[in-house]
Amino acid sequence: MTVREKGYTHWDGELKPARHPWWPIARLGIKLAFKKKYFKFIYFSAFIPAFAFLVGIYISERIEDFQWMVRGSTRILEMNPRFFNYYFSSDFLLFMMVMILLASGAGLISDDLKYNSLQLYLARPLRKKDYLAGKAAVLVFFIFSLTILPGLVFIVFKLLFAGNFSFLSSYPWLPLAVIGHSLLVTVFFCLYTLLLSSLSKNRRYVSILIFGVYVFSDILHGFFSENFKQPAFALVSLKANLQQMGAFFFKQKPVFPVAWHFSLFILVSLCLLAAVVLSRKVKGVEVVK
Amino acid sequence: MIVSLKNIYFSYGRVQALGGVDLDLSEGATGLLGPNGAGKSTLLRILLGFLAPQRGEGRVLDYDIRLEQHHIRRYVGYMPEDDCLIPGMDAVTFTAYFGELSGMPRQEAMKRAHDVLFYVGLGESRYRLLETYSAGMKQRLKLAQAIVHDPRLLFLDEPTSNLDPQGRREILELIKDISSRKDIQVLICSHILSDIESVCSHVVILNKGRVAAQGQISELKQLKFRLYEVRIKGEAEGFVERLKNIGCRVDVAEDKVLKVYMPAERDISDFFRQALEANIQVRHFVRSQTSLEELFAQAVGVD
Repeated sequence: MTVREKGYTHWDGELKPARHPWWPIARLGIKLAFKKKYFKFIYFSAFIPAFAFLVGIYISERIEDFQWMVRGSTRILEMNPRFFNYYFSSDFLLFMMVMILLASGAGLISDDLKYNSLQLYLARPLRKKDYLAGKAAVLVFFIFSLTILPGLVFIVFKLLFAGNFSFLSSYPWLPLAVIGHSLLVTVFFCLYTLLLSSLSKNRRYVSILIFGVYVFSDILHGFFSENFKQPAFALVSLKANLQQMGAFFFKQKPVFPVAWHFSLFILVSLCLLAAVVLSRKVKGVEVVK
Repeated sequence: MIVSLKNIYFSYGRVQALGGVDLDLSEGATGLLGPNGAGKSTLLRILLGFLAPQRGEGRVLDYDIRLEQHHIRRYVGYMPEDDCLIPGMDAVTFTAYFGELSGMPRQEAMKRAHDVLFYVGLGESRYRLLETYSAGMKQRLKLAQAIVHDPRLLFLDEPTSNLDPQGRREILELIKDISSRKDIQVLICSHILSDIESVCSHVVILNKGRVAAQGQISELKQLKFRLYEVRIKGEAEGFVERLKNIGCRVDVAEDKVLKVYMPAERDISDFFRQALEANIQVRHFVRSQTSLEELFAQAVGVD
């Protein structure tokens, strides 16, 4: 007898509250991102700097063997906080992160709005925060894999290659700096992407916004800085603010002569704005007054 | 009581959608009827916890609709009116995913998703991408995701919209089969009265944000009025006026057949008395079966 002929049958199990209700949402988001070929290309390309820096760490420990290659410019291979700041604040890495956000995050909320699946989520025993946490976890996974993971791997490999703890005793705060900066970048990029994703039902518009706002803010910075010669215009650029915070975390001279507090204020303000907009936009029903 | 609402009010800004709804739903399938803007969707949204009532109180499956929405949603299945999908997914993953979100273990959800998809008739196409599904298949998929976690209460919002007659019949058969289980209650919101009549034993008719009628369909039909089909010879207008004066509602159908809705408190002799006084010959007088459509028209006061 087929299932159809048997008629409706009950399920024997018992529905239980999930310990992490956001986890299935995160897992699906990551799985769907990897289904896109162009995403795989972007994602794995973003690891190029991490591999290059890892090779740099190895060479820095075997500098005598590689003298012929570095030709005396050993300063760039010195393992210190500047090395880490250079990795975390590099234009290429930040650009690749934006590309990853664009490929994996643009449709996270906008597709649910377009295809009406938001009401299916919220008709389940999920809170709004569970839904948003699940969507954010997708982005956290990708950004962490490019920030906190390589940062800590660099430290571990440095210790392994050196065979002693002198590096860590010189800079005991460095792991915390890696974690702190990674958290800031991740939280900011998550909220930035989810905010833009909730503003439109069209994934393409959202992709353009994610890329456009990031690039346009940097163009504006360049334009105003050139014309008005005021370093404070660095605050209009998302990239410049993230680089300022990188310099603060790794105790380096700021890229622009502006206090890091202002950059932090701008990034935190944008995060708060995103949180407010998200809590208003994510609803089980669209109420037209 | 499965659903019990008392004096529920809800407004969208200045527009009042629900104005003091009292509702008690017991076992079996119940139809929720009403013209556009009557407040049906708002009521469903309040029952699901998407909207919080501004006044009044209520319980669904013995959980408070204001404070325990989270628990309600665990045991409720919801099939929305609009097409819903997640691009890039196949039906079996989609259905299992929503089962898991309802609190089923992952492997159990996947196993149950296969069964449910076979049950709704999507077994052969369960691995196809959802974007390639036809309107009818999407409708079945919505039903599958609504029943995957074996809910105790099922809300179906326009379950037969966008379906051809064959598809409509099949979906109604599925709903009938589900609602025939004593431990699953079904609330169907539909504009298609014949669908409600064929599936539901109870009906709630909403009009202008209030409950215009509620109860067992068979009882409502009997209690409210009796319907007679009448053919007469003579001056009809005056006769119709006389019938209206004694509380009857009269519709003139095709072929000059009069449909006379006689209030329960009136007797047939009242009708014939009026005919005699108006000098009318009654050529045809048959008790007719009242349809839900007629009950609906009577309740909301429209033709």
